[in-house]
Amino acid sequence: MMVLLKKVMSKRKILIRLVFGFLFFYMVSMMLVMGNGQSFLGRSISGIYTPVANLIGLNTTWNFFSPDPANTMYFRYDIIFEDEYGRSTGETIEEFFPKSKDEGGDFRLDQRRFSYAMRWLAIDPERIRLFFVPMICREHPKAKKIQLEFIVKRIPPLEKIMTLRNENYEDLIQSEEVGRNLYDCT
Amino acid sequence: MTALKRLQDFLFSEEPRSQLGLFRIVLCATLFYLACWRQLNIDQLGAGSLIPREMALTIFPDFYRPLIQWFFWPDAYVGLVHLGLIVLLALATLGYSNRFFLMLTWVIHQGVLNRNYAINFGADSIGGLFLFYLAFTNACEFYTLKNKVKPITDDLSSVIYRLLQFQICIIYAYSGFEKLKGSTWWDGTALWTVFANPQFSEYDLKFLSHFPWFFAVATFVTIIFEVYFSAAMVSPHLRKYGLWAGLFFHLGIGILLGLMPFSLVMLSVYFLFMKNEDIVRFFEKLSHFSTNRVKL
Repeated sequence: MMVLLKKVMSKRKILIRLVFGFLFFYMVSMMLVMGNGQSFLGRSISGIYTPVANLIGLNTTWNFFSPDPANTMYFRYDIIFEDEYGRSTGETIEEFFPKSKDEGGDFRLDQRRFSYAMRWLAIDPERIRLFFVPMICREHPKAKKIQLEFIVKRIPPLEKIMTLRNENYEDLIQSEEVGRNLYDCT
Repeated sequence: MTALKRLQDFLFSEEPRSQLGLFRIVLCATLFYLACWRQLNIDQLGAGSLIPREMALTIFPDFYRPLIQWFFWPDAYVGLVHLGLIVLLALATLGYSNRFFLMLTWVIHQGVLNRNYAINFGADSIGGLFLFYLAFTNACEFYTLKNKVKPITDDLSSVIYRLLQFQICIIYAYSGFEKLKGSTWWDGTALWTVFANPQFSEYDLKFLSHFPWFFAVATFVTIIFEVYFSAAMVSPHLRKYGLWAGLFFHLGIGILLGLMPFSLVMLSVYFLFMKNEDIVRFFEKLSHFSTNRVKL
């Protein structure tokens, strides 16, 4: 009886180990494929991985500061208060997102999240219309319009800094207004 | 047959994987710290969020969209649920948790991340992934305040232990490969762009432009470390050096770029590459040192 029990136990253990072994190879292959999910291999066989990978947050590219580190950027926007005839009903408010603009220094984790949100919004201008403008309009219920511009301050290349060492650093930064758009709050 | 035996020994170790306990402590403590700060952004996870609830998952492209909406709670209760997450993470750090509660912790964590994807840090995402793996292990039986006698490692914990090792190697490798696509990384000046950017760098490091070789060396060392980390972990001779390099690398970016939570999440897995006896020896030395200090 004991021998039989032992045999059954060991068979059970083998079966469990086979399942775990299969899961191990499935997970490792998923890590490898989904790390570059947009590749030909990823597009071809992602069907067997995406349901799991998307659920657990594994379907992602591991690109930290890559392919190239981003430049300094922020939104400058005016909150405009008008009546239906376009007459001003209040003083226009100028604000920045993130509030610290290009000055940095705000590394408190709760503030830093807005810097991340700004970069996420900047990837696709449609996100500004869909998400950012409604949020600002909600915060200012009397606002009629939001005029927003996306400002990028390009970090001067290292060689330029070395060559023009006597110049003021701020003068070497190339500031660009990538887009200025007017959005309705209604 | 030998290969099969080797594979079995590799996946299903008989020795206790107590390193999982240290991994749990560092990971959960870091996520606890992040969650405490996130509580201050609670409006961004509820009705006033940048991303409306009904669009929280539709913002993901089809290829990346999760099938399940993990945020099962109404927006109005997010504050309470998030406080629950903080408590669960604190308990997990101390070891007062188990597989069920760790899985619950992960579901809430993942739900919070999915609710407003735009404000997530890398530490949140990678920490979430590690927490998912952790939930399948018996990590709460090691280095815990619970009164436990000689815990053993089960097969599932042993497999997850190996998965975590693979996971961090793959993260580093892809991170290195992605950098190789960038012209400034290839050029050796990428770190200048990082350090000169006041939105990334916690300190004004522009004076380092007087030492341009620093950026060239540090940029290439970063790529070499990330690409070859997995190779170093495979080799018993190089493993120690790979781990030391990683420790300095992460402490560097943690201090200079204000990314300490990210660094700690990554470093938490390093325990899984260390031998049990080395960790025990380290703690013995530490306790010996502290006892002597107390006597003094």
